[in-house]
Amino acid sequence: MTLPSIVTRSLTKSYGALTALDSFDLSVEQGTIFGLLGPNGAGKTTLIRILTTLMNQSSGSVTIEGLDTLSSGRAIRCMIGVVSQENSLDRYLTARENLELHARLHGMEKRQYKGRIDDLLELMGLAGRQTDFPDTFSGGMQRRLVIARALVHQPRVLFLDEPTTGLDPQSRRAVWEYVRSLAGSMTIFLTTHYLEEAEQLCDRIAIMDHGRLIASGSTQELKDRLSGATVYEIEFAEGEGERYAVLLGAMSCSRNISRLGNKVTVTLEHWECVSEIVTALHGAAIRRISLKERTLEDVFISLTGEKVRE
Amino acid sequence: MLTGTVAIWLRDMLILRRSIYSELVAVVAYPLTIYLAFGIGMQGYIGLVDGAPYSLFIAPGLITMTAVNAAYNESVWSLWFHRRVQFTIESYRVTPISVSEIVIAKILTGFTHGIIKGCAVGLVIFAITPFRFPLEHLLQYLLFLIPGSALFSCAGIISGTVMDKPETIGKVEAVLVMPLIFMSGLFFPLSSYPPSVIPWVRALPTTALFEGARRALVTGELAAFPVLQVSLSALVAFVAAVFIFRRKMAE
Repeated sequence: MTLPSIVTRSLTKSYGALTALDSFDLSVEQGTIFGLLGPNGAGKTTLIRILTTLMNQSSGSVTIEGLDTLSSGRAIRCMIGVVSQENSLDRYLTARENLELHARLHGMEKRQYKGRIDDLLELMGLAGRQTDFPDTFSGGMQRRLVIARALVHQPRVLFLDEPTTGLDPQSRRAVWEYVRSLAGSMTIFLTTHYLEEAEQLCDRIAIMDHGRLIASGSTQELKDRLSGATVYEIEFAEGEGERYAVLLGAMSCSRNISRLGNKVTVTLEHWECVSEIVTALHGAAIRRISLKERTLEDVFISLTGEKVRE
Repeated sequence: MLTGTVAIWLRDMLILRRSIYSELVAVVAYPLTIYLAFGIGMQGYIGLVDGAPYSLFIAPGLITMTAVNAAYNESVWSLWFHRRVQFTIESYRVTPISVSEIVIAKILTGFTHGIIKGCAVGLVIFAITPFRFPLEHLLQYLLFLIPGSALFSCAGIISGTVMDKPETIGKVEAVLVMPLIFMSGLFFPLSSYPPSVIPWVRALPTTALFEGARRALVTGELAAFPVLQVSLSALVAFVAAVFIFRRKMAE
């Protein structure tokens, strides 16, 4: 069993009367990609600021690679890399100079960082633009440069705070590829609003809201946890939809039913109900019947609600 | 211990080096215009001030004003820009350096800008105007200019730390910084003030700076009290700047 890389215990952060984090417990295993999801104002940014030692908690404890954030901030910052929501690139320095400054802030000497920066620029596809200023880069290139900067000192834990926000699909997929290529060599802690991103990249996912952890597990575990319910979409022949919708709606194992033209969507209590449905629909003119897969978004909405947050 | 300070200061100097010519043209233009307009243009109307032609009276103050203005402006705008626009301060803070190292670097940068730009204006005034001073007076003058630039650099850091809106920074400069500079005997002798006001004006560190620097440059006189007054003010401002910046970063 791998050791935990990030551990929070009863982590609480209050701003006056507002509690941004409320007894938050979390454990992230070393070498995994961990995704944190939550609606706006859920407390994600506060959590990541505490984990990266930018902010102190009101109570509770945090350890990164076994070190306490309150007493070992400098040591922790030596071994973490941070990709913040804002690009935070220095627009007056070239791409290479941005990486060099970061290396010097980590106390690296030129002979240590020169080759490392060459490799990273090559890996991120920026070697040909290393003497250009970040302002002349596309959003995707800027993001790749920020990731390269976070990797210069070879961190053991990488924090990615919404790393692909504002990128086009191609750039987003390119960033995913880089993140995937890092998997295993370091622990990656990712926050994102893109549920597909979490689904694609993360070994484990946590969902938080109102400063509390409300669910965690693998994507499949979260989907399974949603409920035992299964959703089927049945397309009937012309004019048959309404009649069968009424029939299915009257069945004891049908939890929810909706109809759009000849398409009826039925939510069943559990998969065992399928045989009852098949029996009930015997002789019906069915064009298509399909199992509707639950998505991570369904899980997210079911746990955090549909209401838009301020 | 000051690895971060050195790295950030070197970064700032690289940027200064890249834009030194345009910076100097902009910095020299303002005091030179004032010198030509007031020192030369008004000289015939004003005559002698404290026994010296008006153009010579204001020249040392213009050099000092350039230095402290440059120190203040660099600190306040640089800190605000890096904190609120570019978010580079945040990127520094997730490296192993301390918050104090960051703020000391920025104070040092403002100070360096002040000294370089003050010297540049001094050279230009020396080269194209009749203002002359014995070179041996330069050391005494620097004893004022160095803590003076440090004081204004720290003041800039405090403003850039506590003010989140750029328009507020502009207002503070108009309402506080410029009056402090102009009322400290830069364009007229302190004897012009009503007698009851003079002790209050003399208590200002800016008065000690401008008056002391003028005397040091023109006559070579080095008064210990004004030097101490400016130096102590710079020290207090330094402690306050570091404290305020650390507090702001902890929020």
